[in-house]
Formats: sequence, C-alpha cells, structure tokens
Amino acid sequence: MFTAPVGAGAATIGLTSAPVLIYLYSPGVLMDAYLDNLPTYVDRIQAIKETILTNIVLIGQIPAPTFKEKNRSVAFLDRLAEFQVDECTTDGYRNPIGVIRGTDDSKPPIFVVAHLDTFFPKDVDHNFKIKKDSITGAGLTDNSIGVGVLVSLPEIFRQLDLRFESDIVLAGVIQSIGKGNLRGVRHLVKTWPTPIRGAVCIEGVELGRLSYYADGMIRCEAQCTIPAASSMEYKFRPNAILVLNEIINQILTLRLPQRPRCRVIIGQISGGIKHGVIPFDASLGLEIQGDSDRMVKAIFNEVKDIVDGIRHEYEVDLDLKTISNLNAARLRYNHPLVKKTFAIMQKLDLRPVSGHSESELSIFLSRKIPAVTLGITRGVNYHLANARLKIHPMFTGIAQIVGVIQAIDSGVCDE
Amino acid sequence: MSSSWLENNTFHFADFADLDRLVSEKERRELTISLCLPTLNEEKTIAKEIIIMKSELMTRYPLLDEIVVIDSGSTDNTMEIAASFGADVYEADQILPSLEKFKGKGENLWKSLFVTKGDIIVYLDADIKNIHHRFAYALVGPLLLHEHLKYAKAFYDRPIAIGKSKVRPTGGGRVTELVIRPMFSLFFPELTQIFQPLSGEYAGYREVFEKVPFPIGYGVETSLILDIHEKWGLDVIAQVDLEKRVHKNQNIKALGKMAFVILDTFLKRIENLGFIDLKKKMYNEMIQYNLVKNEYKADILQIGGIERPPMIEIPEYRHKFSITGKPPGRQKQAMPESSDA
Repeated sequence: MFTAPVGAGAATIGLTSAPVLIYLYSPGVLMDAYLDNLPTYVDRIQAIKETILTNIVLIGQIPAPTFKEKNRSVAFLDRLAEFQVDECTTDGYRNPIGVIRGTDDSKPPIFVVAHLDTFFPKDVDHNFKIKKDSITGAGLTDNSIGVGVLVSLPEIFRQLDLRFESDIVLAGVIQSIGKGNLRGVRHLVKTWPTPIRGAVCIEGVELGRLSYYADGMIRCEAQCTIPAASSMEYKFRPNAILVLNEIINQILTLRLPQRPRCRVIIGQISGGIKHGVIPFDASLGLEIQGDSDRMVKAIFNEVKDIVDGIRHEYEVDLDLKTISNLNAARLRYNHPLVKKTFAIMQKLDLRPVSGHSESELSIFLSRKIPAVTLGITRGVNYHLANARLKIHPMFTGIAQIVGVIQAIDSGVCDE
Repeated sequence: MSSSWLENNTFHFADFADLDRLVSEKERRELTISLCLPTLNEEKTIAKEIIIMKSELMTRYPLLDEIVVIDSGSTDNTMEIAASFGADVYEADQILPSLEKFKGKGENLWKSLFVTKGDIIVYLDADIKNIHHRFAYALVGPLLLHEHLKYAKAFYDRPIAIGKSKVRPTGGGRVTELVIRPMFSLFFPELTQIFQPLSGEYAGYREVFEKVPFPIGYGVETSLILDIHEKWGLDVIAQVDLEKRVHKNQNIKALGKMAFVILDTFLKRIENLGFIDLKKKMYNEMIQYNLVKNEYKADILQIGGIERPPMIEIPEYRHKFSITGKPPGRQKQAMPESSDA
C-alpha cells in the first residue's frame, strides 16, 4: 500500500509524540483519494524540475546507438545509485535495472521501462540546449526524455512521499529499436524469476497517447546488389534502385484485406553513389503491420514471392531479410488498467488518444502481463537531431505515470 | 624547477566525488560558496548550467549557497532564461553604478565580488556545452580539503602516459601554446606546470580575489595567476583535471584579439616586477586586416588595457562587507608570502 498525502480516508492517532497518519484502507476509497490528489502532483513534481532535467541531460547527452548503449547504461546505474535505489544491477543481458523495494513481499513487482538506445550515431552532437520552456537535441524524443524521467522516479516518489506495496523495477532496456528487435526487454521479461504485476512503458512523446495494444509486425529489408565482377556481362547494367522500385510497384498491387486490419509501410530506401553512376547496390526497408499474426505472415510470404520472382527475372543478387518481428497482443478496452489509465489522464485534463505500439509494450502483452505505453510531453521535429520538446507539459506526463503505477499497486491488474 | 608542485597540487575531479565529505567540510569550517557565471549572449547554454548546478549542488548536496549571473548586456534571452531557472541575475552596469562602466568578462568577475556573498567563489564560463556538476565541485574540493590552497584552476586534457611508451600531448588551446606558454617559459618557468592558464573555470577564496586587480577583459585569467603567484606563491594554487570540455570554437581573428590583451597584461606585469624595462609606452590598438572588395582594410580595435583596482579598495565594498581600517596598498602582502613567490 502506498502512503498518500492527506486526503479522503485519512485519520490521525496520537500514540506517539508526533501524530501518526493512517489510512482506512479500502481499494476503492484509496483509488479515489489518489485520483483526487493527482492534479496536485504536477506542481510537486515541478518543484524538482532541475533534478529531472539534469537526469535527462546527463544521461541523454551520452550517445547510445543500438548495440552501443554501454556508456549510457553505466550512467543510468550511477544515477540510480546516487538516488539510493535499493538494488542497482544489470540482468544477464546487461539491461541496467534499479529495484525500489516495496512493503509487501507477497506482491509481484511492477515494471517501469524505457529503452536506452536511440537512432542517432555517436558522431552526432548530443549536447542539448535548454531554454525557458523547451529542450532541444538529438534522441530526446526516442527516448532520452523517457530515460531521464525513469531515472528520476525514485526522487519523484520521495518528493510525493509515496511508497508502494510492490517492488518497483526501473529498467532501461537495451537493443530495443530497429535491428535490436527488442532483445533487451525480451530477455528481461523472459528471465525474470517471479510473476510481474503490471508494466508501464515510457516514451518521450506524445503526451496524451495511451497504447494498450500492439500490432503483429514483421520488419524486413530487401537488399539488391549487382555483382561488380559480372558487370562486363551486362549490355545494359541493371540499376539496383530500379530493381527495388519494381518490388515497390508489385507490393502496391497487393490486395490487402480490411479485416483483419493490415498494411505494408515502405519506410526506408537507400542506395547509389552519385547522380551519373548506375547504382550497384540499394536497400529497401519495409514493415508489415496488422492485428492478425496470421495475416501479417501471409503478406510477408507474398512479399517474399515478389522478391524471389524479381531476383529470378532480373538475375541480380536480391535478398529479403527479416530484421524483427512481433506478435499482435492487446488488452481489452474495458480492462481495468485501461479504464483506470483513462480516468487518470482525464483527471489531469489530458485527452487520451489510443494507438498501437511496436515497442516494449508488445513483449509484456504477449506474455499476458497488463501494460500500457504513455508519452511524456509534446514538441516538434520528433525524429530529427533538433527535436524540440516542451518542458512544462512534462510534469503532467510524469504525474500520469505515477498515477498508473499507483493504480497497478492498488490492484487494478490483479483480477 | 621543482616538479613537486605538479605532483602535489594537481588533482583529478574524481578525487572530490564524495560530495557528502565536501559538504561536511564546508559546514565544519562555516564557509559559504557562490557560483558566478559571467555571460554575454549565452542563451543556448546558460539554462543547462544553472539547472545542473542547482539540482546537484544546491538541492541534493548543499555545497553552493547561491548561483549568480553577471551579464555584460546580452541582446538575446540570456538574462530572462537565467532568472526563470532561479539564478540571481545582475547587469554588470547596475552594480556599483557610480563607477565608470566597462564591458568585459573581467569586469563581470570583479563586480561579482560586490554582489556575491560566498567565502569561496567559483567562476565558470557560461558556454560549456557538456556542463556537469564536477566543473564546480572539483574546483571547490581542493580548497575545502586542503586548507593551504587558495585558488584552483581547471584543465581538461589528461597529462598521463598511456601504456609504457605512448604519451598523449597535453596543454591548452592555441593562445595558450603560442602566447602564454612561451612567455611563462621565458619569465616564470614554474608557471608552465599550470597546463591551461587560460581556462575560464576556477575557484578561489574571496580573501584572495578581493586583494588583486582585475583587467576588465580577457587578461583576467593571466593576471590572476601572475598576481596570486606573486603575492602568495605557487603553493596556494591547485589545478584539477575535469577531463572533457566542449565549448564553441573561436576564429583566429578573435584569438588574435585575445592574445593581444593577454600580452598587454603580461608585459605590464613583468615590467612592474622589473623583468623588463619598456622605453616607450605600448600602443593600445589591435590592428588586423580584411580583404573587402579587393581592398585591404584595417580592422582596428582599441583595447584599453584597463584594470579595476583590488575590490577591497572600493569604499562601497568595504562598507557592505564591514571591512574596517585603512585600505591596503597595492604592494602590501595580505597573506604570508610563500617561498615560491
């Protein structure tokens, strides 16, 4: 049970020199009590904004491209240790983890996770700029703000005088995005020795998002290479980009069903050397998403057939590699965690916007662990090196995360 | 030249990472500490410096008692941003307004002595991109833990051997290596042990800063070292390795102006010390040339070489800090002179 600030349900007794605050515990009353207190959290969290921003800066300014998160991971653990988190360690896959011990050994832990890795390579300037109400820099959106807030939670709990029944596991998971294929969180959840009570996944943006379902997904890359040694054999050397263009054209002719819902996103294309030289290699990144794993797999097979056919007809080296995949999983809209999260957001004057997530959420949901993904703030240029995020809304974003952790701790996921 | 100073007075920031110890030493000695950030159009970096210092060295560890920004007349939002994050912000011109007004970093540092309250004052440049609280605590650390030290200066490269035969070159920037180090080598070889005499990050006791003059511009770092060395000796000075510092790079013309001011400061001091005898007054104009529409045009900057007197000589300061007795003369020793002097 967490100790909430003075509010409904509280009474004092005077057995010691100082009055002791006790709570007349009833889950329903308690839920209402902390829901009522949620708006006050915003100002109380804002009172330690320097510490939260410091964590975002000190950790976020350390580059952490996928597979190279070690330095950021060390800083993450150092900060947790400085905040006197009960246990700071790494799991077998080197995910850095801090555990805040709860008051009831019998309750399973609550996980709060944010992925440590970013899309930006080391040579990109990671020094952030802070102005009166904004913070700007590479990787902030995805997901340095999330990591900074995660590390700040022990101090935020202290500021709000909160303790929990469950252990709170703060995990900065590695190898999440792109080719990382969520390896860190997969390992963490798979090898955790006890049941998990529920989870909150933190993303930098966008405040108001509420993800409680994950689409099935296969992410793949088509790589076309024209062998240099055999180029003399060609009267007209094939153009690797045009070969990929043919794949795109054929994918666009696929008839996709409206139910189950699914789609193919052509997300990335690269290749070539310069304007006047026929490119001898090129690559195409695409993702098949849908709410049916079977349908996603069927479409993937169709794409594979397209690639095989073009390889045969054009006589080029052409491969389709699967980079990552996820199974579709979801909570019902009327799951208590979803309903309570809606209530929490509305209490904070946020308009919940539902959407799917391909992040850590899907790993929890696929293992039947109730979880939601929440965003912290708003801004512009989300995926660019000059992503600029607003500071002020962040405190509401953090308050909702604290509220959801309280909801899980009070038992909404225990049905 | 003895190398004992280098061994005994050179530290690494990690030597002072135990912030509880620093705070308890500060409290035991009943000291107060001020952080001063001199600014001119630093809106991109000022907030970050204030936020990190406030969080780590005020809220979490009460090492600093105040953060003060002294601005030279920024035209961007530096002052507004600094104030919004809780720093005490002053326009340099508004401090001691009865005095003639000057612009420059040295002027800001000198005037900060009037508005800050600390027994120890930490000066940090406001343009550090990779700011970390070590920049402040590591400079305060030697002063708190070693009572004979009065002034601590930052450096950034690590002057250590890598393996058995590989040595990484160390030293300062272009002006340090082309101007200051040759001059130190010629006149004060013991001062060459200070790796980066021009670094903008240092801390010292008020009782030191208030007794030395401050050039109003770039010469302030040079003059502080020379004057502290002259008055109290090298043994009161420490240097601390802060590892990496990222800041904006200056173009060669700006560095030329900086070198001019530093040479001006240096030559005047060695003349006063009797090392040289200038037969003619030096000029006070830095002359550079630009090619404008196929014509060479002189770009002349008057740099006055103006210096503020020791703050302890200013009546308003003496009144504010309740300093009684006659103001000390420039040559008077305020602290025991070291054998290095």
